[in-house]
Amino acid sequence: MSQVLHPIEKTIIKLLQSEKNLTELQIMEKAKLSMDQTRRGIEWLRLKNLAIVEESEKFFLTLGKNGIAANTDGLPERKLVNLVSNASVPFDDLRKKLLDDMNVAIANAKKNDWITITKNESGSIVSLKSKPDQTSEEKILAAIGHNKIPQDDIKDTLALESLKKRPDYIILESVKTRTLSLSEQAKSIDVDAADSGAIDVEADVPRVYAARTHPLKDTINEIREIFVSLGFSEISGSLTQPGFWNFDALFTPQDHPAREMQDTFYIKDKLASNFATASQINQVSASHKKGWKYPWNVDVAKKMVLRTHTTCVTINYLAENKPSEARVFSLGRVFRNEKVSYKHLVEFNQVEGIVVGKNVSLRDLMGIQTQFYKKLGLNKIKFWPTFFPYTEPSLQTMVYNEKLDKWIELFGMGIFRPEVTRPFGITRPVLAWGGGIERIAMLKYGLDDVREFYNNNLSWLRSTPKCQ
Amino acid sequence: MPVVTLYLSRLQKLVGKVSKDKIISALPFLGLDIEEETDQYIRVEYSPNRPDYATDVGIATGLQGLLGIKKGIAKIIIKRQKDKTYSIKTSPAVKKIRPFVLGLVAKDGKLDDEIIRQLIALQEDLHFGVGRKRKKASIGIHDLDKITLPLLYTAKSKDHKFVPLATNHSMSVTQILDTLETGKEYSAILGNGANVPMILDSKENTVSFPPIINSALTTVSTSTKNLLVEVTGNDPGAVADTLAVVASALQGLGFTLHDFKTDSKSSADSIKMRTIILDPNLVSQTLGLELSPVQICNMLKKCRLDAMVKNKKISCTVPSYRFDIFGPMDLVEEVALGYGIQNLSTTLPSSTSVGQKSKTTLKLDQLSQIMLGLGFTEALNSSLTSKQTLYDNTKRDSSKLIEVAESKSQEHTVLRDSIIPGLLENLSKNIHEQYPQKLFESGIVFSTGSPIKESICLACVSAHKDSGYTEIKSILQSLLKTDSNIECQTKTSQNTMFAKGKTADVIVNNKKIGIIGEIDSGVIENFKIRVPVSGFELILTDFLL
Repeated sequence: MSQVLHPIEKTIIKLLQSEKNLTELQIMEKAKLSMDQTRRGIEWLRLKNLAIVEESEKFFLTLGKNGIAANTDGLPERKLVNLVSNASVPFDDLRKKLLDDMNVAIANAKKNDWITITKNESGSIVSLKSKPDQTSEEKILAAIGHNKIPQDDIKDTLALESLKKRPDYIILESVKTRTLSLSEQAKSIDVDAADSGAIDVEADVPRVYAARTHPLKDTINEIREIFVSLGFSEISGSLTQPGFWNFDALFTPQDHPAREMQDTFYIKDKLASNFATASQINQVSASHKKGWKYPWNVDVAKKMVLRTHTTCVTINYLAENKPSEARVFSLGRVFRNEKVSYKHLVEFNQVEGIVVGKNVSLRDLMGIQTQFYKKLGLNKIKFWPTFFPYTEPSLQTMVYNEKLDKWIELFGMGIFRPEVTRPFGITRPVLAWGGGIERIAMLKYGLDDVREFYNNNLSWLRSTPKCQ
Repeated sequence: MPVVTLYLSRLQKLVGKVSKDKIISALPFLGLDIEEETDQYIRVEYSPNRPDYATDVGIATGLQGLLGIKKGIAKIIIKRQKDKTYSIKTSPAVKKIRPFVLGLVAKDGKLDDEIIRQLIALQEDLHFGVGRKRKKASIGIHDLDKITLPLLYTAKSKDHKFVPLATNHSMSVTQILDTLETGKEYSAILGNGANVPMILDSKENTVSFPPIINSALTTVSTSTKNLLVEVTGNDPGAVADTLAVVASALQGLGFTLHDFKTDSKSSADSIKMRTIILDPNLVSQTLGLELSPVQICNMLKKCRLDAMVKNKKISCTVPSYRFDIFGPMDLVEEVALGYGIQNLSTTLPSSTSVGQKSKTTLKLDQLSQIMLGLGFTEALNSSLTSKQTLYDNTKRDSSKLIEVAESKSQEHTVLRDSIIPGLLENLSKNIHEQYPQKLFESGIVFSTGSPIKESICLACVSAHKDSGYTEIKSILQSLLKTDSNIECQTKTSQNTMFAKGKTADVIVNNKKIGIIGEIDSGVIENFKIRVPVSGFELILTDFLL
């Protein structure tokens, strides 16, 4: 129950503390409130159990058309006795005067024992017995007159009932009245002292929305933080890449299905120039000729593509820096020429990390993975062998998802093939792993449609909590 | 990735005395991903570099190794022929079209519907992968008993007629290329010459029209006992590799293999094992695992390779169908598989390196924080978008658009050169949400350079009934002031996306770094937005970064 009182409520309580019972109307007049304010105030007090509302029904009487006429001209039986007060009058003559009232007049006058009726050869004759006093019914008519009076004011209920039976004499009107009194609790409230300046703190308020980062960005930032906390530094590269760095440098043969336009976005009318040193180009060419046994074509390597993975950034970094020790990662958009669906986007985010070192091994790579997933809150993981064109050995991580109750494939990993590293003079092992970020974000936000991330639906952006 | 269906009772019979559960739990450690599992069958995805896993026989061979039932190479035995009946002669005419051919005879086997289904699947996977959509290599499998040997591999004109597989009437080559599915799909391989490759038997019956279709005459059915396999193609390596995989599968299915001669080679000569020398140090270094040379040999044998210690090195013999193995590093992976990935415990490399975010990331994080403080919510849009959103709706000049080829999605064909259009698109999809709507986005935009310039931009839009130039300029000033204590000027300019007289260039140190203004009412109408919108876009590259 709220302790806060509205000024209207206070006024009504004050009134009732001195007057005990008041009707709605009385409150309205005395408190100088509008009917609407009065009613609202009463309702609030009732809901807070501060006021007791009693509803009562009262009946009022007014005269109908015939009642008004009878009040001025007399009741039919009164008219009759007036006609016969001086002499007896034949029945037929009376009928001519009283018309429709004749039957009622005769019946009532006879019942009241005011007249006698004698019969001779020419018909019935009515004569007065005694001059009557004003009847109870006549008194009631006179009492009502042109006013509306409470039914309770009429004590002679028998006469009233009789009048009510006459057509259109009496109009009965029902009026409902709400009477207010204070509850015990309210009687003791010190209205002037209570809650000065307080407001209803429990009431609903309008909604506002915090400006926020995109939920997918939150996951991206989280992953970036994990890499940094594991000692990795961020590197970046272009989204548009010559085929050379996206494919050739990674030992992907030029006729490989992944390089076809139906899988990869080629940029129209754009060819790369000065994309690599002559020696890098020669070495890659030789590696392809030896490994895949086909005439490698530099023109194919010049075609500009939207990068299909972040590995092109990694290999470019390795080729430029030839580090003997390194822990770096790159994170960003990658592209695939796919039909957009609930599980495929043409453009999504990928992260990839590498470790270069003298004695780093596959078991180290698995260890780093385990740490990475632990930081993401994923503790139940296992490794399965798999195939990637530019790593050997290659593994994939399987992560157990409690919500879905199944193992889910997450990041892939492996050690760069000698065919990839050797042409760039990299002699130490390069541990690499990575994968799509949207997939992790979908698990985190419980989404089953990956497109939701790029719909920028404000109701979703505004309602998605930061902590999942 | 290709998928193969494995019927468990069949697979169990092929593998040997092992429970079904053991088989199922071993599958992932061959590198096979379980796609679907029922009581009767399992569907697994295999990597295209292991086409020997396209049949249950191939997978059973692998499982036997891992489960320790059989080790070492499952040798392909090809019986040599004394006479030259099993042979094919190549005419010079076909050498310019599709030069290479190999063959093989497989006898006394039993075919059922399941085996035929698997052979067809194997054939299709080889066509797609090693065969590069039948260009490098394609396979024909025939009923040997319908053929009169020897064969002739020759070139025929497009008027040549025969009854193609799965039809019952004679068709010309032209008709086949124009009407049959495989004809339409693969005719490009044959080029525009007048002649096409054709394999004829000694009665001049057409056996095959490579790489398009076989003849109906040699259709293989469940009553076929003896098979002829021919592989043709443009790449001798791919042709030999393909034949090796088919040979290994047919032997696994119970056929006896017989040699088949071409002009220069016999199948027995081309299906040959290779030897690779592996240094045990490479294994221990790469895997982080101390294994003795004998142990390494044992692991390799579990992967159905042969190996022995020779001068402290390991001499490993690899069957010809394992063309996924290039060199020693591939053998290291085999050792890991033989050891069992599940048995590898994890270790951590020692490192003292301190991680760091890139400068760009740090700057964008800081700018994001300020934008959030100014009440703007972050949006994320694709950088590959549509001409409609980027240029038509915003009335911007599209003469320098950068387009991708053959996109499968109409909404993703052009690389964005500005962020604001995407944000307007977002506003147009949120017209029923509560206003004010304030969005910002940072990201990469593209312009013509050498060959393409990528710049990092930040843009924002404010949409509500009182949105206007003053508000958005206040935001701009506050952003730059809070970030780097920069005072900027706004200089009157013109831009079709913005309202005339209500747009400016953003100038810092006499250099234009962006645009600002109230969005043109026509543009707002194009996006079906119902309130005024103002916004700005800054190019951060060369300025803040």
